[in-house]
Amino acid sequence: MLRPTCLATALLAAMVAGTPVLAQKTVTIVREIDTDRYDPHRSTARSNAEVMYMVGDTLVNLDFDMKTLVPGLAKSWTTSADGLVYTFKLRDDVSFCSGKKMTAQDVVATYERWQAPETKGLVKWRMGDLDKVVAVDDYTVEYRLKKPFSELLYQMTQYFHTIINVDQVKQLGADYGVKPFDGTGPFCMQSWTPRDETVLLKHANYKWGPSIYKNTTAQVDRVVWKVVPEENTRVTALQSNQADVSQYVPYWALKDLMANKQLSVSRAENYFWTFFIGFKIDRELMTDLRVRKAINLAVDQKAITEAVTFGFAEAANTYLMPSVLDFNGKVDKAMYGEKSVGEANRLLDEAGWKRGGDGFRYKDGKKLAPVLYGISGFFKEVAEAVQGDLRKVGIDLQVQLFDATVAWGKLATQEFDAFGMSFPYVSAGDALNLYFRSTNTPTPNRMNWKDPETDKLLDEGSTALSADVRAAAYGKVQQKVHDAAVWIPLYHEPLHVVTGSKLKPVRAHGNYGCGLYKGLGLEFK
Amino acid sequence: MTDAILAEADARALEALRRKNSIIRRLLRDPPATLALAFLVLILLGALLAPWIVPYDPFANSMRLRLKAPGFVGPDGALYLLGTDAQGRDILSRILYGLRATIGIGAIAVLCGGGLGVLIGTLAAYYRRLDTPLMRFIDVLLSFPSILFGLALAAVLGPGLFSLCVALSIAAIPTIARVARGAATVVMQQDYMEAGRALGLGDGALIWRYLLLNCGSTILIYATLQLGQSILLGSVLSFLGLGAQPPFAELGSMTADGRKFLQAFPHVATIPALTIFFIVLAFNVLGDALRDALDPKLRQ
Amino acid sequence: MFALIVQRLIISIPVLLGVLLIGFLLLQVVPTDPAIILAGPTASQAEIEAIRQQLGLDRPLWEQFGLYLLRVLQFDLGRSMISNRPVLDELEATLGPTFELMLACLVWAIPVGIALGTQAARQRGQWTDRVIMAFSVAGVSMPIFVVGLLLIQYVGGAGLLPFQGRGGPLWTGAGLLHVVLPALTLGAVFIGPVARMTRTSVLETLGADYVRTARAKGASERRVVLRHALRNALIPVVTLIGLQIGFLLGGAVVTETMYSWPGVGRMAVGAISSSDFPVAQGAIMVLAVSFIAINLVVDVFYGYLDPRIGQR
Repeated sequence: MLRPTCLATALLAAMVAGTPVLAQKTVTIVREIDTDRYDPHRSTARSNAEVMYMVGDTLVNLDFDMKTLVPGLAKSWTTSADGLVYTFKLRDDVSFCSGKKMTAQDVVATYERWQAPETKGLVKWRMGDLDKVVAVDDYTVEYRLKKPFSELLYQMTQYFHTIINVDQVKQLGADYGVKPFDGTGPFCMQSWTPRDETVLLKHANYKWGPSIYKNTTAQVDRVVWKVVPEENTRVTALQSNQADVSQYVPYWALKDLMANKQLSVSRAENYFWTFFIGFKIDRELMTDLRVRKAINLAVDQKAITEAVTFGFAEAANTYLMPSVLDFNGKVDKAMYGEKSVGEANRLLDEAGWKRGGDGFRYKDGKKLAPVLYGISGFFKEVAEAVQGDLRKVGIDLQVQLFDATVAWGKLATQEFDAFGMSFPYVSAGDALNLYFRSTNTPTPNRMNWKDPETDKLLDEGSTALSADVRAAAYGKVQQKVHDAAVWIPLYHEPLHVVTGSKLKPVRAHGNYGCGLYKGLGLEFK
Repeated sequence: MTDAILAEADARALEALRRKNSIIRRLLRDPPATLALAFLVLILLGALLAPWIVPYDPFANSMRLRLKAPGFVGPDGALYLLGTDAQGRDILSRILYGLRATIGIGAIAVLCGGGLGVLIGTLAAYYRRLDTPLMRFIDVLLSFPSILFGLALAAVLGPGLFSLCVALSIAAIPTIARVARGAATVVMQQDYMEAGRALGLGDGALIWRYLLLNCGSTILIYATLQLGQSILLGSVLSFLGLGAQPPFAELGSMTADGRKFLQAFPHVATIPALTIFFIVLAFNVLGDALRDALDPKLRQ
Repeated sequence: MFALIVQRLIISIPVLLGVLLIGFLLLQVVPTDPAIILAGPTASQAEIEAIRQQLGLDRPLWEQFGLYLLRVLQFDLGRSMISNRPVLDELEATLGPTFELMLACLVWAIPVGIALGTQAARQRGQWTDRVIMAFSVAGVSMPIFVVGLLLIQYVGGAGLLPFQGRGGPLWTGAGLLHVVLPALTLGAVFIGPVARMTRTSVLETLGADYVRTARAKGASERRVVLRHALRNALIPVVTLIGLQIGFLLGGAVVTETMYSWPGVGRMAVGAISSSDFPVAQGAIMVLAVSFIAINLVVDVFYGYLDPRIGQR
């Protein structure tokens, strides 16, 4: 009986000794997955973005309304009348964590690195059709385009445009993106232990935070981004004060967390992140418009959304969130909004798919059993619900889910009939250019939607010099893909940032799905 | 003289049979073992008869009836004895179907892996020169944590019941092989093996008739214990996401799916988890009782 | 003793080769082409071909295995395909935490298991024995993730102990606190087999001649059990522990995943599911080597407990 008492005493002693003073000044943020690397040009992971926004800066920043552009590293900017040249005036008081001063040369070098083929940079279209970036003087740069790009300033708020220290790229070689990143943000990266944690320290000289925050300097000394894959663990961690902030809280726990007086929950005002299922329209089972429409009618978005998100998300009857820039409100919502099993069955009958003895539909001896690819994790529940709905109209959906890292490779193939996906966007143009350009096949245009008219309209929108022209062009594209039923829009996801009792409530942002954005809202009570 | 020794061998076999009967009798006098046996019979019956006795279609979802607590009565008066899962499916029906999958996978693993293990073990005991290479091979298998092996297999074959069966079978080989070798080595030292060889019996006949039959009971006991272990390992692999794919019902993946609701709707994960626990427990209690009954030293 | 160690080392070599071969082959047949992953999403067919050649993926399998062995001998395990970090760095960072976890688990589970087993043997047939054995059977039958889920929910959730990640090295207060729940979880499934084996083994030795002699000489019951019976009874227990380490390594995979423990197991799971071949191979190799090494130690310890084995 001696042993347990000893153990308890030892534990108690350890507990007292183990409450470090440091813990008082450290903010622990928990998230679900880690990034593959910390390199703005070589990873599109949200986990990369979350830290990039905190340790780096972009020329232009985005306000909480997700529409207003505010100065960042650039104090001001002007656009030439033909929309080809953007001139940015840079702040002259900015330095990197390493102490190096930031000048126009760094901006030039950043874009040169992104453009260079050997970088193997991703999503280069986000630069527009960039000719080159020129340093006019130490604190002025010209961004010269070959074609106008109406999206440019919005794109520039995305973390891909983070200004990097190119000296570090040369110095680290293959280790760039692996060793701590040197940026100009409110925090400096101290260490990264993959799959475990990323530790950031306050950037002492930082004072150039965007005006959307009350404080333009970091208010906490140390931030630890901790990877906690288990949902339950994250929730329990927030409830028991072992974590201070998280936006990765499951829907089932939100109600309890909101009711908890110790915690505060903030919902992003304007947040654009949509879940959908896309069809590969040139696959044998998917070519018939009637089949795609029938699937849309059979899937009960409202019930699925209500159930899976516990009523926290908004069921989608359009491809994009209605509050987004250049949204077309005139599309016919009936097809996606109202569930009708009878109409779905009628369409499938008409298309020649007859019910077999097992309840599933067949045509010419072939079973209507489309294969759906997706990413494992949260999407499993959604996919299973869709699978259940389609079963009722005789469609045997085959669900195959993959781990996130493998999934992207799988989703670039032509082996599947449908795919599940969710994505962030800042404007209609952002979303449409990404998914519906014929040049973007096989990925991210996994539908194989190749339509010359769509391409023409997208060009028209992205090179438009006036907002009206742009909205009209993008509006037509929305109508077109909507009528062709190339997706099942499922729901628009909300973003909630939960803050623990040690911190003042944090206002949720949501740029690229990052609730904390620059992290300047983190502050102890 | 050899005849006499062979007669003795047959007499031993007969005695072993009689002993088996007494083992069963002794087992029935052991209340926990009887209980375990009865429970397993019940579970097996439930699994076998599942298609005829399930109250609802285990695959039919209904999002409006999801995550209901045990004893929930639906709007149409339908009773959900164990509640519903995240897709609004009846948990009782899914448990009954899940039993088929879970026990089936375990049984396949023990049959395939155990069969291979017995083969390896007896061969190693019978042919001395095969002993070292075969046992080194077993060591290699033992050096792989079976969970990693299963994961790697899932990466190769894709997650699903097939890779699960293969992984569990391979994991079952070493234990059974070692047991079989141990038991067979003891039998090899018996006079009747020598006598049989002197009589000109072929290797096959010797292995089959004397070696295997005399090790049979020992192997059977360990196979019972291994069945429990295989089911346990299978549930762990399913929990890590490489088992049954939706909408298939399997106890391990049901637990895994339900675990995220553990705080708010604990029944979704705990019911299948407890089912696994009790099945494995029953196999272990039964296996232990059999082992004790066979080993007179530990009886009393 | 030295001869024994050398002999065991030599025996380990073919096992090690086998492990490397299986680990190598297993990841060779994965349907995902490593060159495609490495080349990135925007690569052309020619670039992929070039990478394939550069990696030696176009050569025959046995040649690739030979090259792989050569690299391993030089401690060159390549770089991760996902993060581009050297595999050796990844292993270095994750091995420590895994061993910490194992150590913390063994440190409490072995003594408790042996104590329970001995107690059960001494009170054979009485209710203490029944209760201990019932608990140990229950422990063996409980899926490890259920133990973890319950501990996180009820101990961690109540704010009693931390349950996410590692708090630092074991000798610091925070480090010690963080390891408690994972070690309890892992140990819970380990105690059962140890207690059962100890019980069986102590029962056997209690009936042996030398114990009877000791009793006849008037030694106290406590002395008989501790000095004579237990020491000899430990031999099979030690073997069992050696073998169970393999299961423990497997259990660590689950425990690490549940507690976000930054160990090898969790890394291996991630690497395998994301087809990160070099990391997966490295992790499998390191886990297998540790298993072999631990059993080597067990064998030697065995020789110490029972000198007859060493001389054989």
